[in-house]
Amino acid sequence: MTTESMPASTPGAEVPAPEESGPEEAKSAGALARARKRRSVARFWREYRSHRGGLWGLAGLILIALIALCAPVLTGANAQSVTEAPGGALESPSAEFPLGTDQFGRSVLALLIWGARVSLTVGLLAAFLCVAIGTVVGIVAGHFRGWYSTVLMRVTDWFLVMPTLVLAIALATVMDRSLWTVIIAIGVTTWPTTARLVRAQTLAVESRPYIERARALGGGHGHIMLRHVLPNVMPLVLAQTTLVISSAILTEATLAFLGLGDPTITSWGGMLQDAREAGAVSAGDWWYLAPPGIAIALVALAFTLCGRAIETVLNPKLGVAR
Amino acid sequence: MTADSTPALVKQADAEGPAPAGSPAVRGPRARNTQAYLKYVAAKIFGAAVSLFAVLVTSFFLFRLIPSDPVKQMTGGRPVSAEQLDSLRRQLGLDQPMWQQFTSYVGDALTGDFGTSFQYHAPVVDKITEALPATLLLTGTAYVLYSALGIWLGTRTAWRNGSKSDRFNTALALTLYSVPSFWLGLLLIIVFAVGVGPIPGMFPTGGLESGNESGFAYVLDVAHHMVLPVITLVAVGYAQTLLVMRSSLLDEMGSDYLTTARAKGLRDDTVRRKHAVPNAMLPTFTLMFVNLGHVVAGQILVETVFSWPGLGGLFYQGLSVPDLPLVQALFFVFATAVILANTLADLLYPLLDPRVGR
Amino acid sequence: MVERVPPPSAQPRSRLRILLASGAAALALTAGAVVPGVPLGAAPQQAQAADSGKTLTVAVAQSIDSLSPFLAQKLLSTSVSRLMYDFLTNYDPKDNHAVPGLATKWEPSADKLTWTYTIRSNSKWSDGEQATAEDAAWTFNKMMTDEAAAQANGSFVTNFKKVTAPSPTQLVIELKEPQATMAALDVPIVPKHVWEKVKDFSKFNNDKDFPVVGNGPFVLSDYKVDQYVKLKANKDFWRGKPKFDELVFKTYKDQDAAVAALRKGEVSFVAGSPALTPAQAASLKGDANIKVNEGPGRRFFALATNPGAQTKDGKKFGNGNEALLDQKVRQALFLSIDRKTIIDKVFQGHAVEGQGYIPPRFSEYAWQPSSGQSLAYDPAKAGKLLDQAGYALKDGKRVGKDGKALDLRILCHATDPNDKAIGKYLKEWWGKLGVGLKVECLDDVSVPWYAGEYDLAFDGWSVNPDPDFVLGIHTCAALPLKAKASAATDNFICDKKYDELYKKQLAEYDTTKRADLVGQMQSWLYDSGYMSVIAYPNAVEAYRTDQIKSITTMPEAAGNIYGQDGYWSWWSAVPADSDGASGDSDSGSSSTGIVIGIVVAVVVLAGGGFLLSRRRRTTADERE
Repeated sequence: MTTESMPASTPGAEVPAPEESGPEEAKSAGALARARKRRSVARFWREYRSHRGGLWGLAGLILIALIALCAPVLTGANAQSVTEAPGGALESPSAEFPLGTDQFGRSVLALLIWGARVSLTVGLLAAFLCVAIGTVVGIVAGHFRGWYSTVLMRVTDWFLVMPTLVLAIALATVMDRSLWTVIIAIGVTTWPTTARLVRAQTLAVESRPYIERARALGGGHGHIMLRHVLPNVMPLVLAQTTLVISSAILTEATLAFLGLGDPTITSWGGMLQDAREAGAVSAGDWWYLAPPGIAIALVALAFTLCGRAIETVLNPKLGVAR
Repeated sequence: MTADSTPALVKQADAEGPAPAGSPAVRGPRARNTQAYLKYVAAKIFGAAVSLFAVLVTSFFLFRLIPSDPVKQMTGGRPVSAEQLDSLRRQLGLDQPMWQQFTSYVGDALTGDFGTSFQYHAPVVDKITEALPATLLLTGTAYVLYSALGIWLGTRTAWRNGSKSDRFNTALALTLYSVPSFWLGLLLIIVFAVGVGPIPGMFPTGGLESGNESGFAYVLDVAHHMVLPVITLVAVGYAQTLLVMRSSLLDEMGSDYLTTARAKGLRDDTVRRKHAVPNAMLPTFTLMFVNLGHVVAGQILVETVFSWPGLGGLFYQGLSVPDLPLVQALFFVFATAVILANTLADLLYPLLDPRVGR
Repeated sequence: MVERVPPPSAQPRSRLRILLASGAAALALTAGAVVPGVPLGAAPQQAQAADSGKTLTVAVAQSIDSLSPFLAQKLLSTSVSRLMYDFLTNYDPKDNHAVPGLATKWEPSADKLTWTYTIRSNSKWSDGEQATAEDAAWTFNKMMTDEAAAQANGSFVTNFKKVTAPSPTQLVIELKEPQATMAALDVPIVPKHVWEKVKDFSKFNNDKDFPVVGNGPFVLSDYKVDQYVKLKANKDFWRGKPKFDELVFKTYKDQDAAVAALRKGEVSFVAGSPALTPAQAASLKGDANIKVNEGPGRRFFALATNPGAQTKDGKKFGNGNEALLDQKVRQALFLSIDRKTIIDKVFQGHAVEGQGYIPPRFSEYAWQPSSGQSLAYDPAKAGKLLDQAGYALKDGKRVGKDGKALDLRILCHATDPNDKAIGKYLKEWWGKLGVGLKVECLDDVSVPWYAGEYDLAFDGWSVNPDPDFVLGIHTCAALPLKAKASAATDNFICDKKYDELYKKQLAEYDTTKRADLVGQMQSWLYDSGYMSVIAYPNAVEAYRTDQIKSITTMPEAAGNIYGQDGYWSWWSAVPADSDGASGDSDSGSSSTGIVIGIVVAVVVLAGGGFLLSRRRRTTADERE
């Protein structure tokens, strides 16, 4: 998974994205640009469609997202209430509770469905934060020369050598227990990789002739970074985001499992921790222990599959198994 | 790196990759060109030294942000008087102003003294050297196994790109990769340590040794204890190496020189062994060095789940006090290992690149 | 584009090879299939009886902080100290009254300020020297003069004026103020001739020279950090030699791993931390050779309200919700807690409903509210009380006269599952009452707690047979000197009436009279609404009956085993008969473990070799 993105950042690698060829740039009429965009999206989808793994991943994601959105309809709004829990403690699966109950007598299936909301939210927001920081730092460090670029890259390197999980645990310990803490802890510790990738891509883009032309025509730093560099690094960023989401979901589960999540909110990692604290492991209550882990693995896998498919579309040399 | 690290970390490999493409850094200085190489070495070593110092400073301040009172936590639940608390605080040096604590920390750390652990009343360095072998044994073994397995399977899958075995192996690796390590560990404990149905509980549930063996029996006893945690680490970790190896080999196989070589009538196998694999090893090699750095950081989760007496467990336990001298030293050690491994990779990379100097 | 190299013709053989080799995991897992015939789960691996006689292995969750009794703070470490060194007095396992330890007799003087202890002459240190009053005097004097030696037990000597040993059998302690707790000095007495060589008490951990010289029922023989502590029976212990020859405390950081180890017979006993969970207890009850022991606990689990944090000289600080300064509001909150549901659902019956401050286990001092006084579950009454206090119900929220909704915070220990679980219930119950609640879980609650920045908090203490400490933490004297400074106070309570009662009970040497005073203090505490004891969680632990035949619980009728006040459990434990059939299979299965180890190691090695050789062979094949 690693180096796969490296070739993408090689100078001169053709990135199918808007404004990719110089001559058209000169006569950039709005309609023309839109048509080109539409065409490239269609081309992207055509390519993407040919990756079986990517399609599976996408289908899985859509399904899980739908389930998460429909949680209140599927389970009733009171599924998380402890005082109105319908079952006994740690009941094994039955017709009423297909995945049994937790120690408070709540349906594990219902909790799993509600947990999807939290895990997806944390995954998406943390990945967004991570990629946002990484993109800004990467573009700025790639665009400008001189000492502040150096300083930015030094900071990035410095974050890079910190043991990520250790740093995230420390950060989560420092702040109080809430969803935002987890999101920030993940986002703040994982951005440097994105920054390195985006910087390399920025350097590649800026070495192209049309940037020279734009500069000669009087385009300021802001103009070049926003109108020329950003659109060109977006595909890379998109691929990066999907991959970061899967890791963010795993990290969320890890932090929750270590007891650093918000205990008042049901998340998959939190369910695993609850199960462990209740002694489900020695009682052999697999129906409580297995589903959250499988759910985490499936969602992480789905995002990884999508991310790989996108990467391959952008850089067909990689030959991801279809 | 593997288990409790997350896929994001994987990305470090390319980001950290020596001389990222397009960067102004020296790209593969020729080994012949000794002067340029020395300059490159000096730059890398200077960079590493700066990073080390930054990490030292971070380690001090990061943990002092934790809203916690070590003295109160240490005496938790026992009858202690206010005077006792004050005297404890004095002994731990917590009554001094922050800047004074900081300067003495940095000063001592530079001479290799990381102070005395709050909770163990013993030099931090001793505590770390006590726990280090256990971590190195567990994660080191896992590291060797998953690297070897990853390279081997990566080569095979790339060679048979698109075949059924390729798809199966890649899918299996990706799936295992998405599994939380602690969860896999718990499941393995249930199935193979406790026993389920017809499967007997054949492995110990945790720890490093039974505590009553010696000689060769002791070695076997430790090996017996290592099986489940090592399986957990390898299962979660090998995917990374596999994927990197596979994709860089695919990359190589598309290169013109291979086509030429094949056109010259060289056998597939020779082409693969003599040309493609060595070249494709480079990114994998980088990844292995990054992973090597993380061997020391241990596996907080796997060590906890399997009651392994290593550094990860020590760190997590220290954090809850917080045992400031211990956690800041461990943090420093973890980051140092990564920095050293990366620097080593940076220094060796130009020497190993087969395209250079040929 | 990729130029695909045609894969070698996919013969079934090669595909099989790949499948076989597709992961070290798969490989090593097949190890399970290789040894299906070995009867492992069936016969427990006896806790290693073979070479050194009978061993009792105890699974613990904690690790040792220090083996020096002057530094040890954690329960495991202090328990080990108790086994290594005799105390002046001990507690009777039946009813907790003080019984002889190193001292055979103790008496106060008429003015209550001088206590004389008679030291027994039949206690020897394990290196052969006689244990004398001089050792005791030296131990106390060291704690009084060396700050580093006072870290763990300094609070016992703060009221001491002078400690002397006029003769080898006589110890005299002079006090500054009368003190009723002189038969409850939980201080390990160490051998002077060994410890006077120690230079820096703050760094000496007593874990280098084994065996460690002591005079308790066991002698410390080995220790490995985070792994185990080993103790050998002291043959010359004055009360008699323990029945087990060796006692091992083995660390399992994961409680489930400890339970699994008990099931397999790797350990003989599992101490919960603090208790086995209901699910664990229920699943262990089904096992033939395992007994789940449940006894009344020594902890109380309570809710505390912030009464307005203040310093000793009355300066207020913190940001506790002012609504809680009204006794009616506090009582309304406590009236809407259904303790029975908490016992049934959260503790699943493994706790006793809370009433007085001191757990009923300590029958001498336990107290119960009268029927008129009792704040039993009554949400309707709670609503009325809130109406009276001026918090009217508006759109489902209680709104004060100032128009602000009544929203509270509760501090919870992130590491305590019970805190988190009960927090969920409180949130819903108080929500129905119209009171909002935010559950704030922290690893270390002491910082907001000492800053007075909380409204309510989960509170709990482990109570000693002598209640002095848990009573003292609610006196004005325990308040901090400065705002936010740490202090002995539990919850910033400061009340004249309570303080007077406290002083009286400390100076009262008559137990019955003292118990009455202690009861009055608890009654005041109950009515104040500053504290509400929700439950007394039971001690839930388990042991193998095929390894331990009998063991003393404390209290003897139904009590706990791990963490007793005294060494009774381990000293009294009787090994199960091992001459029977089970004994034979034990030694057999202990070697079975090794056999499996060998098989697995071989399989893993062979697997690795297979992978390598495969690689070579492929190339060889293709070369031909």
